[in-house]
Amino acid sequence: MAGAGGGGCPAGGNDLQWCFSQVKGAVDEDVAEADVISTVEFSHSGDLLATGDKGGRVVIFQREQENKSRPHSRGEYNVYSTFQSHEPEFDYLKSLEIEEKINKIRWLPQQSAAHFLLSTNDDLRINLWHLEITDRSFNIVDIKPANMEELTEVITAAEFHPHQCNVLVYSSSKGTIRLCDMRSSALCDRHSKFFEEPEDPSSRSFFSEIISSVSDVKFSHSGRYMMTRDYLSVKVWDLNMESRPVETHQVHEYLRSKLCSLYENDCIFDKFECCWNGSDSAIMTGSYNNFFRMFDRTTWRDVTLEASRENSKPRASLKPRRVCAGGKRKKDEVSVDSLDFSKKILHTAWHPAENTIAVAATNNLYIFQDKAN
Amino acid sequence: MEFKLEAHRIVSISLGKIYNSRVQRGGIKLHKNLLVSLVLRSARQVYLSDPCPGLYLTGHPGAPALPQQPGDSVAGPPAGWGEPPPPAACAAWPEPEPQLELPAVPEVPRAGDAEPAATVTGAGDTLLSGEAEAAEAAWRRVEGPRETAVGGAGVPAGGSDVFPQGPGAARRPCGWPPGDEDKMSASPRVDGCRAPRPAGPESPVPPPVCPRKRGAEGVGGGPSDCPAPGSTPLKKPRRNSEEQPVGAAATAAQEEEEMETGNVASLISIFGSSFSGLLRKSPGGGREEAEGEESGPEAAEPGQNYCDKPVLRDINPWSTAIVAF
Repeated sequence: MAGAGGGGCPAGGNDLQWCFSQVKGAVDEDVAEADVISTVEFSHSGDLLATGDKGGRVVIFQREQENKSRPHSRGEYNVYSTFQSHEPEFDYLKSLEIEEKINKIRWLPQQSAAHFLLSTNDDLRINLWHLEITDRSFNIVDIKPANMEELTEVITAAEFHPHQCNVLVYSSSKGTIRLCDMRSSALCDRHSKFFEEPEDPSSRSFFSEIISSVSDVKFSHSGRYMMTRDYLSVKVWDLNMESRPVETHQVHEYLRSKLCSLYENDCIFDKFECCWNGSDSAIMTGSYNNFFRMFDRTTWRDVTLEASRENSKPRASLKPRRVCAGGKRKKDEVSVDSLDFSKKILHTAWHPAENTIAVAATNNLYIFQDKAN
Repeated sequence: MEFKLEAHRIVSISLGKIYNSRVQRGGIKLHKNLLVSLVLRSARQVYLSDPCPGLYLTGHPGAPALPQQPGDSVAGPPAGWGEPPPPAACAAWPEPEPQLELPAVPEVPRAGDAEPAATVTGAGDTLLSGEAEAAEAAWRRVEGPRETAVGGAGVPAGGSDVFPQGPGAARRPCGWPPGDEDKMSASPRVDGCRAPRPAGPESPVPPPVCPRKRGAEGVGGGPSDCPAPGSTPLKKPRRNSEEQPVGAAATAAQEEEEMETGNVASLISIFGSSFSGLLRKSPGGGREEAEGEESGPEAAEPGQNYCDKPVLRDINPWSTAIVAF
């Protein structure tokens, strides 16, 4: 169902009124592991939306043409194609099972001259592939130590710069980000820039290292900034300043006192992603209880929204949610202890040109639009 | 004190996770295991650096309570271990935990140890010495079957570089329930072969046939609840010939032992050393200990003091467990 029309609106995350648009996926309470969505990505025009799941399937949704009789409503996303992309493999020699889970989908730029693909499924290496040469790749980053017992960090995410095709960044489990220029050396073991924020000694705990591990890194569309996601926060970095981020947004700081429990139930290892809106004025990331958060970088306001079937009436506006960290719980607030940690939003995507978002909640894909669209 | 308890709990949980990662589909996840190792290191540092440990968390039992071994007692754990608690600090024990009885402990002779056992000097010190020796003896028995355990348990998944000691297919040692990482740390169950047995001083690891059969129930509420030692269910220990401290204190010591070493010891015996680069400051320290422990078992029966390294005598099971890991 498309969202209703409305008046004009400014860009940014918070002046908008988000409305439910569509939801895809089964309603069943019992979710099959294979159906869990593991990646969401809009194409460069925003007309196509792809999801991958743990079962190795890819579903591509295509936006319908706008309906002339309802000019204010945007087209719906309907299934365009579904295919099995990966099958489970078993390496008998190493007794290693290779998961068929789709980790990442990246759309190829249609008009770009670049024919290269960056693959970073490996914890220790980044390889560069030429699309027409499939039997070998060029290794550009290798952090595997000679003695594996000396391993202290792994690569957690990597991305090409949107405009400078020779520049890439990769993040590590230690919370650092390295920017590499492939022109300066063949093997980019030496970084051009090294981004790290000094640790705050007052917040040190057993889990400091885990929560500083970067789970996602994304360049802004402008290419001037990049954003990193760690367990509790999102940080925006200016590529010209390596010493600390220019912005830090707390996603769910109320979890800091619960880290031991979250370690025990493995939630602390959840890898949340983050994304920019088209104009880089807002950023979005997921949380627990099917909550997701948006931060407006210009007004410095933030909002918590929920992807749930209860809020899935056509054109229903999303009501901001609040989490009560302690003390007296107000009406409509959700207390930290009643958060459902099995309902996590790890993957979100923002349409590159307009205020339409896709939010993956386990096995369901929610599409929300700004009322003003 | 509470940091030690939390460290204890975290170490248990962490070891359970690492174990489970070996039997789960897809094999070992390098990133997650690396992070778990980091947590283990943090917990270890807290554990070793706290100068006033609780009753069952001994630092240097050798120093105050066994005056006949001044020569053997080294300054602390091997170099690269972080600051050891100073012996002076350990000599004065803090108040015993209220739930714990503290009767005098009779001498606990070390099997095979030529030196005379500790003299009973006072309740605190005595418990310390009896505890330490009993714990140490229990730990040594764990070390005995370690070779067997190590040989069989490895899952050479993608991390085969990382856990080099495991050839062959994934094999879950009997006694460990499938999957379920969360429950693992709480109270692993023994199924199959043997009757459950706590890992107390009176109930050492059985002969090397099935070293992983550690007493699950003895752990009681499990580290996740961190029950007071006195509240763990009391298991009737299976008697092995050598070390059998009698009396309530021994029972209390045994309960504490269960809480510490029950599942942890067997997990450690399975894992051997991995990511040891993270867990030791000096490259040589951890490795020496591992070798020291491994060279012992072949030569001795369970219960005997076959470990030559004087340091290991003085380190309580938790530290030794961490060393081994």
